[in-house]
Amino acid sequence: MKLTFKHGIHPKERKELAADSPIEVMPAGAKVYIPLIQHIGAPAEACVAAGDRVKAGTIVGKAASYVSANVFSSVSGTVSGIVRRTNAAGRKIPHVVIDNDGEYEEETLPPLVDPTKEEIIARCKEAGIVGMGGATFPTHVKLESKTPIKALIINGSECEPYITTDYRLMLERPENVVSGIILLAKALGVDTVLVGIEGNKKDAIDRMIYASDGIEGILIHELKTKYPQGGEKQLIYALTKEKVPNGGLPSDVGYIVLNISTAYAVYEACVLGRPCYARFMTVSGEAIARPANLYVRTGVPFSEVVDRLGVKEEYVKAVSGGPMMGISLSDLTPSVSKGSSALLLLTEREIRAVRPTTCINCARCASVCPMNLMPMMTDALILQDKIKEAKEYYPMSCIECGCCAYVCPAKRPLVQSQRLAKKLIRELKI
Amino acid sequence: MQENSTRKLLVSSSPHVGSGLTTEKIMLHVIIALSFTLVAGVVIFGVYSLLTVALCVASCVCGETLFNLIRKRPNTVKDLSAVVTGMILGLNLPPTVPFYVPIVGGFVAIMLVKMLFGGLGRNFANPAATARVFLLLSWGTQMMEYIRPIDYASGALTVKDFFVGFVDNAAYVTSATPLAEVKSAAGTGAVDVDLLDMFLGNIPGTIGEVCAIAIIAAAIYLIAFKIIDWKIPLTYFAGIALFSLIFYKNGWNFILPNLLGGGVLFAGVFMLTDYATSPNTRVGTIIFAVGAALLTILIRRYGGMNEGASFAILLMNLLVPLIDKACKPHPFGYRKPPKAKKGGKEAAV
Repeated sequence: MKLTFKHGIHPKERKELAADSPIEVMPAGAKVYIPLIQHIGAPAEACVAAGDRVKAGTIVGKAASYVSANVFSSVSGTVSGIVRRTNAAGRKIPHVVIDNDGEYEEETLPPLVDPTKEEIIARCKEAGIVGMGGATFPTHVKLESKTPIKALIINGSECEPYITTDYRLMLERPENVVSGIILLAKALGVDTVLVGIEGNKKDAIDRMIYASDGIEGILIHELKTKYPQGGEKQLIYALTKEKVPNGGLPSDVGYIVLNISTAYAVYEACVLGRPCYARFMTVSGEAIARPANLYVRTGVPFSEVVDRLGVKEEYVKAVSGGPMMGISLSDLTPSVSKGSSALLLLTEREIRAVRPTTCINCARCASVCPMNLMPMMTDALILQDKIKEAKEYYPMSCIECGCCAYVCPAKRPLVQSQRLAKKLIRELKI
Repeated sequence: MQENSTRKLLVSSSPHVGSGLTTEKIMLHVIIALSFTLVAGVVIFGVYSLLTVALCVASCVCGETLFNLIRKRPNTVKDLSAVVTGMILGLNLPPTVPFYVPIVGGFVAIMLVKMLFGGLGRNFANPAATARVFLLLSWGTQMMEYIRPIDYASGALTVKDFFVGFVDNAAYVTSATPLAEVKSAAGTGAVDVDLLDMFLGNIPGTIGEVCAIAIIAAAIYLIAFKIIDWKIPLTYFAGIALFSLIFYKNGWNFILPNLLGGGVLFAGVFMLTDYATSPNTRVGTIIFAVGAALLTILIRRYGGMNEGASFAILLMNLLVPLIDKACKPHPFGYRKPPKAKKGGKEAAV
C-alpha cells in the first residue's frame, strides 16, 4: 500500500509539458528589479543606494528582524535606484533596480568545510534562504526550533500540476540535493531524514536512492500521486501517520518539513558559498511555445522569461506558482523572486472558467477536503455575514489547497470564501 | 513585452484550474440513468407511461420558468434540475393516472417545494417525494390504482393497446402490488411472491419502480460516473434487509420482497441521494440512510400503507439539518480544546 493521506483529488497533472526539458540557465536582461519582500516576515531594508556597484551575491536588502531574510543582487552592475513596483502578489513594494553589466561577477561567501550545527544555521540566515517550494518562510527560523525534533522530512512530492523543477533537480543533481539534505539534518541534529516523493516520479526516486546510497538515516519513500500530497500536514501523515495538531506546527509532533529546492539552496550556500539569488522555475502552460525548467536569477521580470520561451497561442490567465495555489497576475511586470516556483500561461481550455452558480449541496467539497472541513458551509455563512457561525466550520484550519473549488460542479470560489472568513475572523477578533 | 503588457488577463483567487464537472452535466447523467427505468416502464406498461412522465417534466419546467418570470429572475431551467424532478415524480406515479395528476404534481414539486425555498440546492424536502405524498392525499384512489404489466406472450394486450390502451381503460387489469401480499403475510411469515417477476419488473407498481434490473443498471451508471455516493443506497438497502429480519416473523422471507417491492430500490438510488435533501457529512449520510430504512419498514409493517419509501424519505429530509449539525466533523488533527490551545497561535484566534 502506498503512503498517503485521506481525501484529496487527482487533478490533471500536465507535467508532461515541461518534465523532459533539462534545466536551462537563463541570463538576465539589461535591468533586474529585485523585490525587497521575497519571504514571509518583515520586509528587508535596502542597504544600497543609486550608483553603488554590486556583484551577483552582494547583499542589497538586510533582514529587518528575526523572521525576515537577506536579499541579494542577482547580477553584477550598478544600482540605478529603488522604485516601487508591483510584485507577484499584486502589491506595490520597493524593488532595487540594477543595471546589468553582463559580466556576472560573483561575490561569494567562504565555503564551509565540515561545518557545525550553528555554522550551518548562521549560513542559512546569512544567505537569505527561505522555503523555496513557494511558501518562502525563512529557513533559519525553522532550523532553530525550540521543540525537540525527531526527524527531518524532505518534501519531494511536487504535487502541484505543471511544476517539474524539483523533479528535474532530483534527476539532474541528486548528489547536490542529498548534500543539502545532510547539511540540514546536521543543522537540526537529527539522525533520520524521510524523503517523500510521489509515485509519478519513479526515475527521480531511483536517482535519489542511488545518490543517498550508503548514507545512514536518509530514507526515500514513494508516495501515492495525489493532491495535496505536499501539504506539510498531509506529508507528515503520509510518512509517519502522525497528525499535526489543529492550529499547530509540524514541530509540535517533532518534524520539520523542507523542500527539495530548499535543500539545494542550502547546498549552494554552504558548499559553493553562493547566497540565495537564483532559483529553479518551471515555465509552462499550453500557451508557452517551449515549456522549460529554468535556472533564473531573481529580479528578472516575468515578461522577459516569457519572451525567451515564446507564446504560441492566446492565454487568458498568467499564474505565479502552481495552478492550485498560485497567484494570478494582472500583467507580466512582476519579477522572479525566491518563491517563484513556476510561471504558467494558461489558455481558456485549461482553466475552464465558468460563472459560479448556486450551491447544489452535493458535498463534493467536503468529501475531498484533506483537512476534513465543510467548505460549502463556510461559503454560505460568510456570504450572509454570519462570521461567528462560519467559524464553527473551522475556516482557520483551511490550508487553501483548492481541492474543494476544483471539484465544485457549481464552480463556487470556495477557497476565496475560506480566505474571506479567515480575514474577517482575524480582523474582527471573533 | 509591449504586447504582453496590454493583454487583458483574468485575475482570480486560486485554484486556477477545475474539474470539467458542472451542475448541468450531473443532471444530464441523472437524466440518462432515469431513462433506463423510463424505458423499462414504457415497455412494461405501455406508451401512456411516457406521456405521464412527459407531462410531469413539462409542468416542472413550466413551473420553474413561471416562477422565475414572476420573481423577475434569470431562468434556471437550463441547469436541468427541473427535468430531473419531473422525471423522478413521473416515474413515481402509477401508469394509469389521469393527465391532470402529473400536471398538478409537477407544479407542486417545483413551485411549492423547490422554488419557494430558494430553488436548486435550497429545498429542505425532496420535491418529487413531497409531490407524490401530496398527490396520494389528494387523489387517493387514482394514485393507488396499479395495473398488471402488458402480457405480450398471451396476446391479451395487442400492439394497439400498447399505444392507445389508455383510451380504453378496460384493456388494463388492475391488481394489487406484491407489497399487499407482503403486508398480509406479515403475520404468518410465509410470503407468496414471484421474486423473478419482481426482479424483471413483471409486477404492478409505479412506472419507474417495478423493474429492479433497470434501477440496478442506473445505480451502477451513477456510481461509475461518481454522481452518487454508493454508501447511501447500500446502507439503505442493508438497513431494509436488517429491519426486515427484525420486524417480520421469519424475516428471511421478507428481505427480498421488501427490497424489490415498492419504491425501495428507486428511492435508494434516485431520491435518498438527492444532494439538497441528504446530509453533507459522512456520518450523517449513514444515519440518514439507516433512519430512512427503519421508517420504511415500520410504515410497511405497522402503518396503514403498503408502501412507505416516500414518507420515510420525507420524514428523514426534515431531520437532515439536525443530523448534519450533530455530525459536524472536526478538522484533521483536531484535539480536545484545552490541548488545542497549546498547539499554536492559530488555535487561539
